[in-house]
Formats: sequence, structure tokens, C-alpha cells
Amino acid sequence: MATTIQHPARADRAQNRSARAGATGVGPLERQRRRTFWPFTAPALAVYLVLFIAPVGYALWTSLYKWDGMGAMQWRGLKNYSLLFQDPSFCTSLVNTLELMVIGGTVTFVISFALTLVLREMRARLFARSVLFFPSLVNGMVFGIAAGFLFSPSGPVNQALRLFGVTTPPKWLSTDNLLPMVLGTLIWTATGYYTSIIMAAVDQIPDYFYEAAELDGAGAFQRFRHITLPCAWDVISVCAVLWTVSSVKIFELILLFGGSTNAFPPVSSWNTALYVYTEAFPQGTVPRLGMATAAAITSLVMVTVITIVLRRVLRREPIEY
Amino acid sequence: MRIGTTAVWLLVAADLLLVLWIFLTSLRGGSDILKHGFSLPTSPRFGNYATALDQGGFAQAALNSVLTAVVSSLVAVVLAAPCAYALARRRSRTSSALTMTFAMGLGVPGQVLVVPLFVGLAKLDLTDSDLGLALVYVGLAMPFTVFLLTGFFSGIPAVLEEAAVLDGAGPLRAFVQVVLPVARGGLITAFLLQFITNWNETLFAIVLTNSQSKVTLPVALAEFVAAQQFNGLDYGTMFAGVCIILAPMIALFSWMGTRIIQGMTVGIGK
Repeated sequence: MATTIQHPARADRAQNRSARAGATGVGPLERQRRRTFWPFTAPALAVYLVLFIAPVGYALWTSLYKWDGMGAMQWRGLKNYSLLFQDPSFCTSLVNTLELMVIGGTVTFVISFALTLVLREMRARLFARSVLFFPSLVNGMVFGIAAGFLFSPSGPVNQALRLFGVTTPPKWLSTDNLLPMVLGTLIWTATGYYTSIIMAAVDQIPDYFYEAAELDGAGAFQRFRHITLPCAWDVISVCAVLWTVSSVKIFELILLFGGSTNAFPPVSSWNTALYVYTEAFPQGTVPRLGMATAAAITSLVMVTVITIVLRRVLRREPIEY
Repeated sequence: MRIGTTAVWLLVAADLLLVLWIFLTSLRGGSDILKHGFSLPTSPRFGNYATALDQGGFAQAALNSVLTAVVSSLVAVVLAAPCAYALARRRSRTSSALTMTFAMGLGVPGQVLVVPLFVGLAKLDLTDSDLGLALVYVGLAMPFTVFLLTGFFSGIPAVLEEAAVLDGAGPLRAFVQVVLPVARGGLITAFLLQFITNWNETLFAIVLTNSQSKVTLPVALAEFVAAQQFNGLDYGTMFAGVCIILAPMIALFSWMGTRIIQGMTVGIGK
């Protein structure tokens, strides 16, 4: 929809510009735009540089030192990074982060596509989509607290299971099961969001593609495989990058999952964000800011590399329609 | 297909029931909840809300949340709008380099910034202050808000300002009086999305605020849950707290749901 509306405007503008450029070289509007470019961009850029870019640089710098935040910084070079990979809690955190990213991403995308297919031909689809979308506006802690009650040993879920004759239900919130529970919650809350994005793309595919395919005798799966998937490919590749970035940012969902009894949840459910938080702001021990920032930089490098690889792998010729 | 439709409606029902259950549970007494997880409140106990607002510190926290979220989202949009407009209109190498620089920020997880920002704000004596937190939120908002608005401004035909400039309006006047009114929808969306993000933001809020008079709602909730572990669980009050954090999101979503969904999804596809 949006693209079809934009095209005439864009063509119009290009025509205007070339016409005027032919007459006077550079039009007054263009000259004005050049003059106002820096005054318009400078404030946002300054804030961005001071509050965003500089901190990233500072994190990189700190990651080369041993520092408790108060005393003097001690040079350590890259040793922080090698120490990091010898730390079992960091390795667990890293593996968990990748697990959330890869398994969570795959399952979320498969479900989102299935939902898109169903929603396409459903009544009250917009209402259903809205309800499914809503969890992405909810603070992750809410789900953690709700799960902590619903899945507690004598909680409603186990009571319900007993009705069905399950007398030894799984220990939902035991240390080993926390991460799978987090993963399940994550998938459930994220699916609605990605379904909405994919739906927005699928809605722009012209109907006559499907009609033609149907006349040619293509089944539902073939239509998906040969029309939906290629036409929505652009959006899918953007979604994959979006998922990669946002899966690494998960924090509050894990922090309070199952209403953890200590200040921090057990190490087995940490991701890198939790690791950074516990290293930098521990309860009762000395902060290790060097290690914390080294872990943060490691996760940043990981996101960057995976994003670049994803973009390469998923690149296709865009389809015009 | 019929199985699929049924599955979708089951999911929808589960989502709705969860919210309903949280609300109903927030009106019940603690021991009653432990006995029967799913049940209607016998007599609605609005006292849970009074306890949460008063003893749980949720009243002050809600005020802090509203204040930091509104102020920081507003400042972010005010800063980002002219920048995004300039980036959308001027097609030069500098312009696309800047656009790239802002877009790169989208890929940086908050954990990278949390230690440096804490250290920096501590030096300026701005930790445990809502001003400091709002400042951090403005910075964090820059990449996404500039990205979103750049896409939005390039969708507005340039004919409008061309006419204004030909009529003798200066660039600032053309922007404020001609472009901004047309762009109102995009600006509102940007503000809304930023407000939602800041309302739910937890990592920086936990790190940067800690005293009762400064914390935002997510921190108050986390602290309340932690305190409950020692005082015995008062699920009724806890869920009242959860409802306080949920209510504005439900209100905003039922009021401007389409705008929110479009802002969070259509911009992504471009």
C-alpha cells in the first residue's frame, strides 16, 4: 500500500529537481537544505555521541582494565577476555544467550508463519492479531511473577494436572528447568509481534498472485512456498536481524522468573545481560567492572558478527510487484 | 485450516484469560489465593491496591515512571524530528553516513552502555535521580526515533516545503509551520513507542535509581517481590502492583492499538 502511494510523489520530486537543476544549477530549496543540514542534525547527533557512542567507547576501554569502580584502574589488556572464557558462569551465560537466540528464533518464526497463514483467511483477524500482539507491550517481569505462581509446586497448573491424573508433574521451576521455561515464555510473548510484522508484509502481496496460483492448481503449501515466502523475504531477513538484537537484550524476564528467592536468579538461567549486571552490581562483593564490560563487549561483537552473517546469507534480489 | 483457526482462538483466549486472571487475583486475599489459584474474588478487596500504592511505594513509583517516561520521550522526539527531517531530505554522502551511524545504534544492547553510563552519571552526581534516568532514556531513544522518523519524513512529498519556500518562508518556518503539522501522526507514533519502551525499561532503572522516592514502577515491583520472600508472600498486593504497571499499557493499546502496531511493524518492513 504505502509503496504504491509513494512512487508518484518520488517521481514527481525527481522531475522537479532535474527541471530546476537544468535551469539554475542548484535550486534555492536545495541550497537551503544544505545550509540547514548541520543546525538541524547537530542537537540529536550531540546527544547521541555523548550518551551512546562515547559510552560504547568507554566500555571498550574499561574492558582492558581491572577495576572495582572506586580505586585505581589496573591495566590488564586482553586478559579480561581470556579470564572471561575460563569463567564457567560466563560460558553458561553465553550458551544460554545463543540458545535463546537460535532455538527461540527458529520456533518463533515457524509459529509466526503458521499464524500468518491461518490469520490470512480468518474472520476477526485484526482482533485476534491485536490480542496476540499485546504481550510485547508488557514488562517481562509480569510473566515471570505470573509463572512463579502458576507453576509453583502446589500451584494451579499442578492442581489442574492432578485432575487429569498426573500425580508427579515436572518440577517446573527447578534450577535446570528455568531456562526452558524462560524460552517458552519468550516464544509465546514474541510470536504476536513477529506475526504482526510478517502479516503487514503479506498483506501487501497482490491477491491475483494467489488467484493465479490457485487456478494453476497450487495447494496451500505451494502457494506459501512460491508466493508468500519469496515476496515477504525482505521483511523476513529484517525480522531475523531484529530478533538477533532483541534476544540479546532480554533482561527483566530472566531477572524475576519464578519469583527467584535470592537477589539474583540461579546461574543456570543467566544470559550475558544478567552476567554483566551481576558482575558490575553484585550484592556484598566487590564489583568487577573490567570483567563486566568485557562480557558486554563480547556480546556486542557477537551480535555484530551474527547480524553481518545473517544479512549476507539472507540477501536476495528484491521482487517488484 | 479449521485446526489452525481453533489453535489461534485458543491462544487468543489464553492471552485474555491471563490478563483477566491477574486482575481478579489482584482483588483477592493472600491465603485465599494460595488455596484456590483460579477463583472469583468473594468480595473484591480494593485494599490490595491501597497497600500496594502506600506501603509498596507504587504511588510514588508510578509518578516517577510517568514523569521520566513522558519527559524523556518528549525531549527525544523534539531532538530527533529536525535531525530525521534533514537526513530524509538531503541526499549526500554525509547524510547517508549519519543515517548509518544512527542505525548502528539499533544493534547495541543496553548491557554495553550500563556500566559506562553509571560511572559517568556518578561523576556528575546524577545517579539515583530521575533527571539522570530521563537523560539516559533520551540517549537510548536516539537511534530508533531518528530511524523511525527518517522513514516517515521521506514518505511526505517535498512539494509542500517547495511551495512554502517559493512563498518566501525560511527553512525553520517551513519546517515548523508546514512540515510538522503534516507529520503529526508520525511524531505521535514516535512519542508513543518511546513512552512504552521507557515505561517498561528495567535494566537502567534498577541500576540508576534505588531510593524509595526515586524508583520507577519496574524497580518498585522487583523490590516488592524481593521483600515478599522474607515477609511471606502477599500475592494479592503483588498482583495489584502488576496491574498498576499493566493498566496504562492496556489503556493505550485499546485506545491507539492500530497506531502502535503500525508504528512497531510497518516501519520495520521498509
